[in-house]
Amino acid sequence: MPDLGNRANVMGPQPIGPIKQPAPEMMAAIDRFLAVLMAGNPAEALAMTDERARDRVAQIAGAIKPGIYKEMHILGKARIVEHYFIKARLSGSRGESLTLQFRIGPEGGRWTVREAADLTNLRSAWTK
Amino acid sequence: MDKMIPVDRLARPEDHILVPLDKIREARLDQGLTPFNAMPFEEDFLKARLHGICAGEFQAMEAAGRTLFDFPDAPWEFQLDMARQVWDESRHSEIYMKLLDYVGSYLGEFPESEVLWSCTQIDDPACRVAGINRGLEGLACDVFEQLIRMAQKMGDPVIERAVDYVLADEITHVRMGSKWMRKLTEGDAERLRKAQAFQDNIDNLFNFGGGRTTQEGAAQIKQRLGDREVEIDATLTIAREARLLAGFTNEEIERLIKGMGKSAAY
Repeated sequence: MPDLGNRANVMGPQPIGPIKQPAPEMMAAIDRFLAVLMAGNPAEALAMTDERARDRVAQIAGAIKPGIYKEMHILGKARIVEHYFIKARLSGSRGESLTLQFRIGPEGGRWTVREAADLTNLRSAWTK
Repeated sequence: MDKMIPVDRLARPEDHILVPLDKIREARLDQGLTPFNAMPFEEDFLKARLHGICAGEFQAMEAAGRTLFDFPDAPWEFQLDMARQVWDESRHSEIYMKLLDYVGSYLGEFPESEVLWSCTQIDDPACRVAGINRGLEGLACDVFEQLIRMAQKMGDPVIERAVDYVLADEITHVRMGSKWMRKLTEGDAERLRKAQAFQDNIDNLFNFGGGRTTQEGAAQIKQRLGDREVEIDATLTIAREARLLAGFTNEEIERLIKGMGKSAAY
């Protein structure tokens, strides 16, 4: 049997490649994007948005009243090479919630939102 | 319970990212990549390929279960075959989840798309098995055979043997599909024609514009592997031997190679 590599335990999971960790700059950009949405600051959200997603982000951001949402949670993330699809939820103190899914990618040293969808009351982005 | 459920009704944990296939294509094109799957020269190739298969195994498990539920009047032996396939696919899902661990990935690292589930959206068990068991599981034979050869070149017996174990099941699933497509359409030429047409659509969907090749005809591409280089196929190949074992005819295989679809019952 060929050598399986330099591993101490041949009976358990044997990673041959490291799990790719998301860039800290991207995580910071996601936090900032969600924070400006919560703050009801569409202009700042649009400043982080690629041209193609501007209408959609403007629509989502414009519908958020400042101060409604108090907390943000990143529910999931999945990547296509360097771009990440992010699912996140904004929650208010009286049960209000907004579920978003957006794609973010690097561009000229900064991270921009390339598409966005409001998944509130939908099961997934598959829902037509 | 509803029959013929759409893809967004599949149960998934909230942290999973589910997107239509066109969103994945957009994300790849946006990065200057080819629109469909991770290519052999990409760093993520092995992880992404195993992830796509793993998500496919989950949907195959769900699809066989839904076929069992959607057609309660189908012959008992048909239902037994579908139940057996649910069990097989659940084992495959576990195997591929462990292979994802093995290569430093995890289920959910990449998004899941709906493309396989779209093949379940037909209200006839003959079409369902033609599309899923003959079309998709035939494709699985191609993908797995190629993965086994890659693992052999990489000197990786874990992937080689795990995938070979799954391939043996896929071959029986194709045979089951062929058997039931024939039996369920016996004496009904029009129903058989519809089942074949449904499979043709699926074959064409995964034909990648006729970009698939024979094993012998596949261009080779160098892949860095630690301190050495191996040559692996640059295209998705058609696994003639596995397909023959599964009961496809030479004529069907030739048609696939030529990108013509059109399946015959045998």
